[in-house]
Amino acid sequence: MIKVRNLKFKYPKNKEYTINGIDFEIEDGEVFGFLGPSASGKTTTQKILIKLLKNFEGEIEYYGKPLASYGDDFYQDIGVSFEMPISFSKLTAMENLEFFKRLYQRTVDVEPLLKRLGLWEDRDKKAGEYSKGMKIRLNFIRALINNPKMLFLDEPTNGLDPANARIMKDMIREFKEQGGTVFLTSHIMSDVDELCDRVAFIADGKLREINSPRNLKIKYGRRMVKVEYREGGRLITREFSMEEIKTQAFFDLLKEKDIETIHSGETTLEEIFIKVTGVALRE
Amino acid sequence: MSRLIPLVKGEFDRLNKYNLFTANFVVLLLWVGLAWFFEGEELKMFLPAVFLLDATMMTMLMVAATLFYEKQEHTLNSIMVSPVSEDEYLLSKIIVNIINSLISVFFISAAVYFIKDVTYDYLKLVPAVIVVTVVHTLFGIRLSYYAKNFTSMLVNFIVYVFLFLFPSLFALLDIIGPEMARFLIILPPEASRILITTIVQEVEPWKLLFGYGYLLSLSFIFYRFIVKPKFNDFLMRETGV
Repeated sequence: MIKVRNLKFKYPKNKEYTINGIDFEIEDGEVFGFLGPSASGKTTTQKILIKLLKNFEGEIEYYGKPLASYGDDFYQDIGVSFEMPISFSKLTAMENLEFFKRLYQRTVDVEPLLKRLGLWEDRDKKAGEYSKGMKIRLNFIRALINNPKMLFLDEPTNGLDPANARIMKDMIREFKEQGGTVFLTSHIMSDVDELCDRVAFIADGKLREINSPRNLKIKYGRRMVKVEYREGGRLITREFSMEEIKTQAFFDLLKEKDIETIHSGETTLEEIFIKVTGVALRE
Repeated sequence: MSRLIPLVKGEFDRLNKYNLFTANFVVLLLWVGLAWFFEGEELKMFLPAVFLLDATMMTMLMVAATLFYEKQEHTLNSIMVSPVSEDEYLLSKIIVNIINSLISVFFISAAVYFIKDVTYDYLKLVPAVIVVTVVHTLFGIRLSYYAKNFTSMLVNFIVYVFLFLFPSLFALLDIIGPEMARFLIILPPEASRILITTIVQEVEPWKLLFGYGYLLSLSFIFYRFIVKPKFNDFLMRETGV
């Protein structure tokens, strides 16, 4: 669906490239995640893909044709949710959505979306009176208003409470199940881990790794079991590799000791990210 | 261009909700109130100044204010990721300002007709106001591009008024003599003043031709080589670089 080759981008006042020669492809119907710390180039890449930033170097193809060859009708196919609130503050949520609906050829009924994301009761409230979380939810509905084929989501759950983050993640998954494609940027590891078919690690404008979360864990992770038990009043922690748990020593430990907890110690994406890029996610 | 109508309608809705219409209406009432104190020829000299200020200063302020709000609220991002072209977006700003200026023309003309029984050549006023509004909408957009905040936008605006509009107003009020005023024609507000003054007094045809030709050319050049090409830079800054 999207092919990116040797993409480079430098903001006019910067000396260095914000995006420095990245390559990736997004397949039809997949959720492709961009994981990286602040100012790593995630949002810039998204802005290039949605044609807000134009003076890039390299090649971008959308369905086999250069992205630049698409006119404004490109936007009939995509939905974009920005990280920051993007509503007219003195208009109600409904007025905001009605305005944007009029700009598209095909639109959806917003009532079910507003209801599902808990904004229906507040639909006639001015967007400026919304909390940050409500504004983010309104952004997401705005992105879905034209029944897009592809969604570009920039930190979609950032600022949401866990319940609404759950609803939004369910909706993203349903969008994918219905054939939609998603480009998702985030610094929240759990979102990427849960939602993405493949994830790209970006740091300092370069892609360091692209793979599925599962493959990344297999490739870089430590697969082990952590056991905590009491001995002489002290809490002792021991780690066993997958090979070690088949040994008699492991079974003896379980049998003889006062076991308190047993955890599978799977390496998180965040730990893998740091290992691969040498950069912490929460900068 | 199919998105022009919803864009224009949306812009009017927002002018209303953001109280910019109300502010404009208050200014119109102020003009009508001032007109109350003038009679006959004095009133006829005063009215072109009102139309000039409305089509120049108010136009620039209105378009700059709407762009400022869109920049502040990041709504321009959202508009530009819909199927709206840059041309449609910029044209909608121009159309809305033309309609606003014509509403002002209608309101003031009706007021002075009913209050003072004064009429003038409306057929000359309407095209003049449209051309003046177009060029000053583009100036307003250009000023907004480089304004970092509302204060810097106002400073840019005041600099423009001092440099370009005041000499023209001085000429209109005979503070600057006709000899000197002749050279002011290259200032857009002065060319605008000449076009608008035709509603109450005879203007040499060459000045009229020059005024229309100059302002229309300026509008085209400004749109083609400044406002549109720089829109992408504005958008880039607006999107949070």
